[in-house]
Amino acid sequence: MFNPKDIIDLLAANVRQTRNPFGVTPSRFNTWWREAGAFTRRPGDALLFTGLMYQAIPYINAAARVLERLEGSLGADYLRFGRFLPASLRGMGLSVLASGAEKKKFNGILHSICRVLHKSGVGFFYHPEMDFYSGILLYDLGDEEGFVEHARFVAKNLKLHGVEKIITVDPHTTYALKELYPKYMGVSFEVNPYFTFIPGNGDRPGNGGPPVAVHDPCFYGRYLELSEGPRRVLRSLGQKYVEVRNCGEFTSCCGGPAESVSPALNREILARRAAELKAAEAPVVTFCPICLANLLKAGLPVEDLATVVGRCLADEK
Amino acid sequence: MAMALVNLDFAEELKAYGVDTALECFNCGTCAAICPLLFEHFPRKMIRYAHVGAREKILEQAQDLWRCLHCGLCTRTCPRQAGPGELILGLRRFVLAHARRA
Repeated sequence: MFNPKDIIDLLAANVRQTRNPFGVTPSRFNTWWREAGAFTRRPGDALLFTGLMYQAIPYINAAARVLERLEGSLGADYLRFGRFLPASLRGMGLSVLASGAEKKKFNGILHSICRVLHKSGVGFFYHPEMDFYSGILLYDLGDEEGFVEHARFVAKNLKLHGVEKIITVDPHTTYALKELYPKYMGVSFEVNPYFTFIPGNGDRPGNGGPPVAVHDPCFYGRYLELSEGPRRVLRSLGQKYVEVRNCGEFTSCCGGPAESVSPALNREILARRAAELKAAEAPVVTFCPICLANLLKAGLPVEDLATVVGRCLADEK
Repeated sequence: MAMALVNLDFAEELKAYGVDTALECFNCGTCAAICPLLFEHFPRKMIRYAHVGAREKILEQAQDLWRCLHCGLCTRTCPRQAGPGELILGLRRFVLAHARRA
C-alpha cells in the first residue's frame, strides 16, 4: 500500500493545475464529442455531463499499471516527489502510456449513450467547456478542502452557462452533483442518469439473446438507490437478466476505489466479486466505468449498459 | 499491549470533520462482519478508537483508513444508523488535516 498522503497530494496537485486527477489537459483526452455529431442547445435542454469518467479509464489503467509495479518496492517512497513535477509532465507520461484501443472503446460508450438519448427523444446538448471532472476522488480520499475548491469552480462554471438540468452517465459523478454539490456548495441542479430517460413501455418477452448478469455499482445500488432503473430498461427491451449473489442495495464492491492507494488490495477484492459474477454463468452488464474497467481486468465478459441498450435498439430497426 | 490515552471530547473534535454520529455506535461489530476487507476488525476497531478518543492510536494506524472502499455496506447495515462508513471518511479528513499541519 502506498502512503495515502503521497497519492492524495499528487492527485490534488493535478486537479488544481489541470482540473482533473491525471494532469492531462482536458482537450487532449476529452475528444469523444468530435465524432458524435453536432449538438444544438435549445431552451429547456439538459446538459450531458460526462464528468470525464469514461474518457479517463485509459489513463486510470495506465496509472494503475505503473502503481502496480511500484507497490511494495523501494520506488514507492519516491512517489511523494511526484507532486513537485509540473502536472503537464505527469499528464504527458500518462498520455503516452494510455492505450489507443481503450480510448476508442470507452469513447464508444459515450457515443452509444448519445444514440440512446436521441432515440429516446430526450432534449439534450453537450459542450466540452461545460463538462468537468466532478472532484469525487478527492472527496472519497478525504481531501475535503481540495474537493470543495474544485467543486466550487465546476458549479460556478455551470451556473455561469445557465445550466439547470443535467444528464449524467456514471454513478460517481451523479452522486457528486446530486448529493455533494448541494451539501457543500449550496447549489442544486436537476440531475438524472441517462438511463432514467429511456422510456419503459412495459416488459417485453425475451429478445432471444442470452441472459446477462447485472453487477450494480455501489453508488447506484446503495448511495443513490437507483438499481431498478437499468433493470427496467433491460426488461423493456426484452433483454433477460439474472441476479447475482449480492446485488441491488447489497451489491459487492468491485474493488476499484482501492486502486489508487493499493492495486494489490483492488485485485484481492476484485477476485472475490469476480467469483460471485462467474457463478451466474452469464455475460456481465454494468453501468459504471470504474466497475467496467475493473471487471475487464478480471477477464470477465462484461459490457456497459449503454452498449447493450444501443445494440438492442439498433436490432429493433 | 500498549496503553492508549482516552479523550472523551474527541467526538466533539470530529464534528469539524463531518462526523456527528460517532457516539451512536454500540460496538456490535456488524460493520466488521459485513465489510468486504475482512481485515483485523475493520472498521469496528477504528470506530472504537474514535469512540474512546484514542487519538494517537488512530494516527499510528492511519494508513488502514485508506483501505476502506467507501462502498457503504457498513452504513447500510448499521443497526444504530451510526454511519460507520462516514465515520471512516471523517477520520481520513482528520488524519489528512493533521498530516498537512505537521
